[in-house]
Amino acid sequence: MTRLFAAEILKLRTLRSTWGFAFVAMLLATLVTAGNIGGTPARDRLDPDLQFRIVLDAAFPASILALLVGMILVTNEFRHGTIARTLLAVPRRARFVGIKLLTGAAAGAMLMLITLTVIAATSVIWLGLLDVPLALDRAGDGAGRAVTGVVIAGILGAAVGGAVHSQVGALVGALVWIFVAEPVCWVILGLLNLDGVSEYLPAASLGGIMDSGGGGLPFAGSVGVALAWAALAAVLALVRTGRRDIT
Amino acid sequence: MIEVERLTKRYGATLAVDDLSFTVAPGTVTGFLGPNGAGKSTTMRAILGLVHPSAGTTAVLGMPYRELERPLQRVGALLETFDAHPGRSGRSHLRVLAVAGGIPRSRVEEVLALVDMAGAGRRRVKGYSLGMRQRLGLAAALLGDPEVLVLDEPANGLDPQGIRWLRDFLRSLASDGRAILISSHVLAEVAQTVDDVVIIHRGKLVRHVAMGDVEDMAAGATTVRSPDAARLASLLAELSLGVREIGDGRLSVAAPPERIGALAAANGVVLHELSVERATLEEVFLELTGEPGERGA
Repeated sequence: MTRLFAAEILKLRTLRSTWGFAFVAMLLATLVTAGNIGGTPARDRLDPDLQFRIVLDAAFPASILALLVGMILVTNEFRHGTIARTLLAVPRRARFVGIKLLTGAAAGAMLMLITLTVIAATSVIWLGLLDVPLALDRAGDGAGRAVTGVVIAGILGAAVGGAVHSQVGALVGALVWIFVAEPVCWVILGLLNLDGVSEYLPAASLGGIMDSGGGGLPFAGSVGVALAWAALAAVLALVRTGRRDIT
Repeated sequence: MIEVERLTKRYGATLAVDDLSFTVAPGTVTGFLGPNGAGKSTTMRAILGLVHPSAGTTAVLGMPYRELERPLQRVGALLETFDAHPGRSGRSHLRVLAVAGGIPRSRVEEVLALVDMAGAGRRRVKGYSLGMRQRLGLAAALLGDPEVLVLDEPANGLDPQGIRWLRDFLRSLASDGRAILISSHVLAEVAQTVDDVVIIHRGKLVRHVAMGDVEDMAAGATTVRSPDAARLASLLAELSLGVREIGDGRLSVAAPPERIGALAAANGVVLHELSVERATLEEVFLELTGEPGERGA
């Protein structure tokens, strides 16, 4: 299992697209952190919750990227035909899916490590110049939530990739779901006076983990619901990948 | 050892492989032959656990491929479809496989050198020619120094020197006791490499014979030319041998040349030509598979 996981990490490391995602994560983290600090009135900068928000807001784009990386690390296999060679090394399909989920989690964690480094560097320098003391406990709390969210996003992405197989289908489907379909569901549920139900939808639960506003489900609840969605997608991935003939 | 036992594979209404059984023994190179669409690739993928049989079983080294531990060190495979990520270098592709298979990294350089790709290892795979891709696929198959090789159309894209190298290399591997199955739709391509041939057509087994038997099948009638063809024809007919005039004083006789020569000598008939009508291996192959072909073309 360890060598198969190491091979998956090597695959990720040796592809340019992985570093492209890392670059985008760093860029977005810098922009969001700068925007958050620069856009906050001077009197509010001393609020310790600002640093909690800085971390979570800047880390949120990384969770979307982790979701996409998770999908790509599975769908790339089908897109480029490398699935046959991979399954020759890992012939047990359940083990293949398990390793991909683990790699999705690791990819998310690595992406967040890079993101947090950028957030920390930007914040420490900028807040230092503004003489704002660092609130490490609140920032640490935010970092913990961010890592949790992005790891689950990576797992969910890999599971969705394993269930869908088509790269275009998975990526477009996920983005349409996050930015169109689920918001429409929220509106419909709101019209039906079922606002609370919307917190249990996949994107909402994932967003809830990294929500700096305090609305919706509590952190643990969001983690539980997001994990349930990831588990459901993983079961679908096991069934679909397990049955598929590699022709 | 490779065992295929009553393998059947259906894709919807299409029957790709139909109740196919054969074995490949250690120390032998077996050619797996059939026209395009005969079911060769499907069978090989079933052997490698990539395709689920509709019925029947396949086994490699006594067990289904999926149950092998460290399969890359037991079985080497080359598939017809290219299976490396185009954005990765050839060396990187092999390193990933080496890590996954628990194979020392030094082996990557060895197999790259073995397939004459050491100089191209750093290049991205998307820039490789067909022949280079095939060599990289062979390097991947050989990476784990496996006991069994399953090679789907391994000569595709190789130049004549490459094909000769492959032939000699496979023979040397078989002499070490390895079981090798290679597919092709061109019998002549594998004739000098294989010990046995498994010929399939439309998913069904047509023949599983030794290569020597296929060569015997290629031997046909004897052509004899004589200025006294009519007399010779009557002498042959008296012995109930099938004789057919084919013009220019030539006869086609259903008998070996030794017998015809002896008969002519005993009766003082002068011969100007005595030769065996030998069908090409492809003609034998086409005949066995029932494919239309022109004898002697």
